[in-house]
Amino acid sequence: MLKVENLNVYYGGIHALKGVSLNINKGEIVTIIGSNGAGKSTLLNTISGFLKYKEGTISYKEEKLPINPNKVVKLGICQVPEGRLVFANLTVEDNLMLGAYLRKDTKKIKEDLEKVYTLFPRLKERERQMAGTLSGGEQQMLAMGRGLMSDPELMLLDEPSLGLAPLLVQTVFDIILDIRKMDKTILLVEQNAYKALSIADRAYVLEQGRIKMEGSAKEIAENPLVQEAYLGAKV
Amino acid sequence: MTQFLQQLINGLSIGSVYALMAVGYSLVYSIMNFSNFAHGGVIMLGAYFGYYYLTAAGLPFPAAFIGAALTTCLLAVIIERGAYKPLRERKAPFLYFIISAMGTSIFLENMVIATIGPTFRSYPEVLSRTPIQIGSVSVGRLDLTMFFISAICLALLVFFIDHTKMGKAIQATAYNIKASALMGINTDLVIIVVFALGGFFAGIAGVLFGMKYTVYPQIGIITNKSFIAAVFGGLGSLPGAVIGSILLGIIETITSGYFSSQYRDLIAFVLLIAVLVFKPSGLMGKVTEDKA
Ligand SMILES: Nc1ncnc2c1ncn2[C@@H]1O[C@H](COP(=O)(O)OP(=O)(O)OP(=O)(O)O)[C@@H](O)[C@H]1O
Ligand SMILES: [Mg+2]
Repeated sequence: MLKVENLNVYYGGIHALKGVSLNINKGEIVTIIGSNGAGKSTLLNTISGFLKYKEGTISYKEEKLPINPNKVVKLGICQVPEGRLVFANLTVEDNLMLGAYLRKDTKKIKEDLEKVYTLFPRLKERERQMAGTLSGGEQQMLAMGRGLMSDPELMLLDEPSLGLAPLLVQTVFDIILDIRKMDKTILLVEQNAYKALSIADRAYVLEQGRIKMEGSAKEIAENPLVQEAYLGAKV
Repeated sequence: MTQFLQQLINGLSIGSVYALMAVGYSLVYSIMNFSNFAHGGVIMLGAYFGYYYLTAAGLPFPAAFIGAALTTCLLAVIIERGAYKPLRERKAPFLYFIISAMGTSIFLENMVIATIGPTFRSYPEVLSRTPIQIGSVSVGRLDLTMFFISAICLALLVFFIDHTKMGKAIQATAYNIKASALMGINTDLVIIVVFALGGFFAGIAGVLFGMKYTVYPQIGIITNKSFIAAVFGGLGSLPGAVIGSILLGIIETITSGYFSSQYRDLIAFVLLIAVLVFKPSGLMGKVTEDKA
């Protein structure tokens, strides 16, 4: 469904992605694990059309993906950004409705709003509350709900568990599985490698802008190097 | 008491025109985080366009009025495309935007001096000068008109911002431009809309100002006071801009009424500095922090 080939991205003189290639098939959960500064967010932002690149290609359903964020959303790819970035000055409901900004199918939007509220009952209780007053966990749910409101086929999740208490981390990963059941494909970027690998089908390891390893989530989780570097195991 | 009421009404009327100008500064600031000093030049041109549409073109007042607003609306968008968009595309630091804005403002002022000339021009008498008597208070027809037109414009703006999809997109973009783009909001279009709105109200304010005083190339300097009002209320906040403007208008008329009009501007500036010292974000400053 999404195919990235030999992608090179620079920030001025910093070479942030060095020949990254990956592909995602429909219905999969694919995870990219990597430590701070590996280039995970850079990759997602490039897919989302925020960053220009000179070398490499990104294609979606066999067509070149435009370098333009709102066109990318229109094609059915939505990103739930690192740090949530909910609109603190607007209500929970406004935030969710902004997720559906490009959609015209009023009836389906209503249905999807109900679905999101079923998935996140907390948001329903707080629908008229300003998003800035939500707790960190609630904001993460709002960010994911807002992403779902665009009715995407492919969701890019950037460190959804960042800064959450362990119990909430579990909830977030359970929700990702629920989202997959809604017929969505998921690209999950995480530092919590253990959890990410436990729900993913396939995984890539990104280190200093390069893909170091790829394979089924199981293979990657069992790899001694990964266990040492990302899963805290002693080898 | 009568005199106080009189000053209060004058203050409300002038303050509401400041508000029309101030929302233009605030809207742009809320999204682009810089003070668009070219706005004063646009207001000045609004006053000139209104004047020429009335005199040279001989249009009836409402047509000249709307015509001036539409012209400055277009002008503001052209300024955005020409002076700011190239900077945005290069991700220039915000200081460059301010310099570009000041340059545009100086350019507009001098263009008018060079072509039309520096003379003061008075609007033809559109409204009768005889005041309306309400109880013991007499209110100028122009002052009333200024107040009502400004109030209607502001009410429409508030409705637009709070109840339309584009309005919500403006609020979202003001909060976080990246997140807005992730929603599929065309943030470039949002910026155009914001300049168009500011430009439209600038034209209306320019005509009202021209009618109240006269038209001359440096009229943009008076409009700096609306900028003061916007900072006073909290740059980037629409209610802040309106409240700041009304307060400034009232403070001004009360000062000139009870002390002397020479102190008027002095007080306005002292007020600004005092607010900045005690509350740098203004009365209702924009909240920008993200909650991680
Ligand atoms: N706007 C920018 N300008 C310059 N360099 C940047 C910019 N954004 C990221 N970088 C650099 O690019 C590299 C990759 O950053 P990126 O944010 O993609 O990492 P990440 O894997 O998402 O890290 P984290 O887990 O901390 O979010 C880092 O070295 C970072 O310093
Ligand atoms: Mg990151």
